[in-house]
Amino acid sequence: MTIPRLLPLLSLAGLIAAPAFAQEPTATVIAIPPLATAKNVETDGGKTWALANLISDLIAADLGSTGNFIIADVKKVRIPSYPEVTAPSYPQWRSVGAKLLLSGFVNARDDGRLTIGCYVYDVQTGRELARQGFAVTATEWRRAAHRCADAAYQKATGKAPQFDSRIAYVAQSGSGDSLVKRIAVMDFDGANHSYVTSGDSTVLTPTWSPKGDRIAFTSFSGGKLHIRIAGVSDKEDRALLPMAEENFAPAFSPDGRTIAFAMSQGGNVDIFTVPSGGGYPHRVTTSPSIETGPAYSPDGEQIVFVSDRSGTPQLYVMNSDGTNQRRISFGGGAYGAPAWSPDGKLIAFTRTQGPLSRIGTVSTDGSDEKIVTIGPNDEEPSWSPDGSRLLFQRQDAATRRVHLASVPAAGGEVRPVPTPQGASDPSWSERGE
Amino acid sequence: MNRRFSFIAAVVVAATSTSAVAQIRLPVIFPLGRSQPAPPPPGMPPAALNTPEALQSDLIVKAGTDTVYFPARGATLDANATATLAAQARWLLANPYMNVRLEGHGGADDSRDYALAIGDKRASAVRDFLILQGIAPNRISVISWGKERPGTMRIGTSVVATGPRVQTIIVPAPAPFAPPPVPGQ
Repeated sequence: MTIPRLLPLLSLAGLIAAPAFAQEPTATVIAIPPLATAKNVETDGGKTWALANLISDLIAADLGSTGNFIIADVKKVRIPSYPEVTAPSYPQWRSVGAKLLLSGFVNARDDGRLTIGCYVYDVQTGRELARQGFAVTATEWRRAAHRCADAAYQKATGKAPQFDSRIAYVAQSGSGDSLVKRIAVMDFDGANHSYVTSGDSTVLTPTWSPKGDRIAFTSFSGGKLHIRIAGVSDKEDRALLPMAEENFAPAFSPDGRTIAFAMSQGGNVDIFTVPSGGGYPHRVTTSPSIETGPAYSPDGEQIVFVSDRSGTPQLYVMNSDGTNQRRISFGGGAYGAPAWSPDGKLIAFTRTQGPLSRIGTVSTDGSDEKIVTIGPNDEEPSWSPDGSRLLFQRQDAATRRVHLASVPAAGGEVRPVPTPQGASDPSWSERGE
Repeated sequence: MNRRFSFIAAVVVAATSTSAVAQIRLPVIFPLGRSQPAPPPPGMPPAALNTPEALQSDLIVKAGTDTVYFPARGATLDANATATLAAQARWLLANPYMNVRLEGHGGADDSRDYALAIGDKRASAVRDFLILQGIAPNRISVISWGKERPGTMRIGTSVVATGPRVQTIIVPAPAPFAPPPVPGQ
């Protein structure tokens, strides 16, 4: 009785689901066979043959997540032997329709570390496009795999690398008066999750230093609103300006030497800069209105910020010394949380008008405003390291749980970013050496 | 009321008269009238008058409320707010050993950084008004919660968000005349 009824439903579901799997026309077919290993040896991270399979799976997951790649089905192809890594038999890869081939090897070294190498080949012309080699500890193989995926990603799309990157965000647990907020850090794919602050005081808006070794954030610890800076590896944090009035909204300059932030002086909030090691703050804006939410351009020459000097919060751009201030947003509602794209051409923002908020982009001269998402409490956009995607916080309308989601910067399918707890205020950054 | 008592009495009578049910102890139900507050459970001390909670309630009773409200993205005090704050200032002048912490809040639809800024501006507007009413500036501290403490208010059966506001929190001052430190120690 149930089966005949289910069958038409299932086939209908298949029809509806089919367009979602359609790739963009620019997608590249890439074959990623399991990596080879000279000798199957036990290491701290598992046997090298198991690692070889894990690494090729992770590379495929990385590349598949972008929409720029179609992963070729390599199940029917003979797994390349160790010598074939550097001399692939191209006809067998042409037979699966691949345009690119990513192969590599994993070897255990005598000191317990791993040597991971990978090669990107153009199957049609039979040329080697890129090669990467790493000597990593057995538990750090994920970083090497992300770098291998980056090599193929750069060759196929011409964009900057983005897979060896991390996300800092505010993890939320509890609700109401018992809401606990902690700064958390994870790889962009959710691995290696760890907490930076202990959760005994409310924290907000983490932002990465350019080298990825420090996180600046706003904290209420000690009953005082102030900026703190934490080391990512040692998890030690300190106040940036221990004696100052209320200060918040930190942003690192691209060279990591300066922090722009907002500070109140008797109720007038303005933008200041200070050396990131601490020192005397330097006032940049002098308006009696509110100026807050600064973000540097990638060349460090300019700062975008939020000001309500016109009556509503709007976006403004100025030189980093405070000169040449000009308004770039002119829409209704309130603008906030500006973020400058890695290529310097666009500024992402939150725009709230009525009950819904939007994530959008605008070019730096104020033209071409484009709304990318509309949703309940879509806020705090952060660019992916290559500038292709925007990561932001979104509230589930039914459960009121706040989580992270990402969307192509040009607009498209919104994809949730899984986190162990509720999550807000993301910051996405390339990982330094 | 009478009917309920007769019902309970009937149950008690029924319970005591039937031997099988007589072993169950029925709860004793006191009628709680408006004029008769519930007696405190034995062992609990009376509420101290100098706790921060008691002081806060005293401010609320004498000044009407401890909170002033603002329009969205506004930081100017309206007539309701100045009346409330004038009453709060009188309370503070009458209680010279009490300090206040002014907690400013932004609206739920402000961006996070802007909510912190506007909360601070609102709290500072309240601070300036209290200073004009004769409160010493060093008795007032200011903090902005941005949109981290949205706040709710119960109107009838529905819970509504309160949003842009400044709350005056009483902070008992440390002893005003501390003994001077002994030199050399």
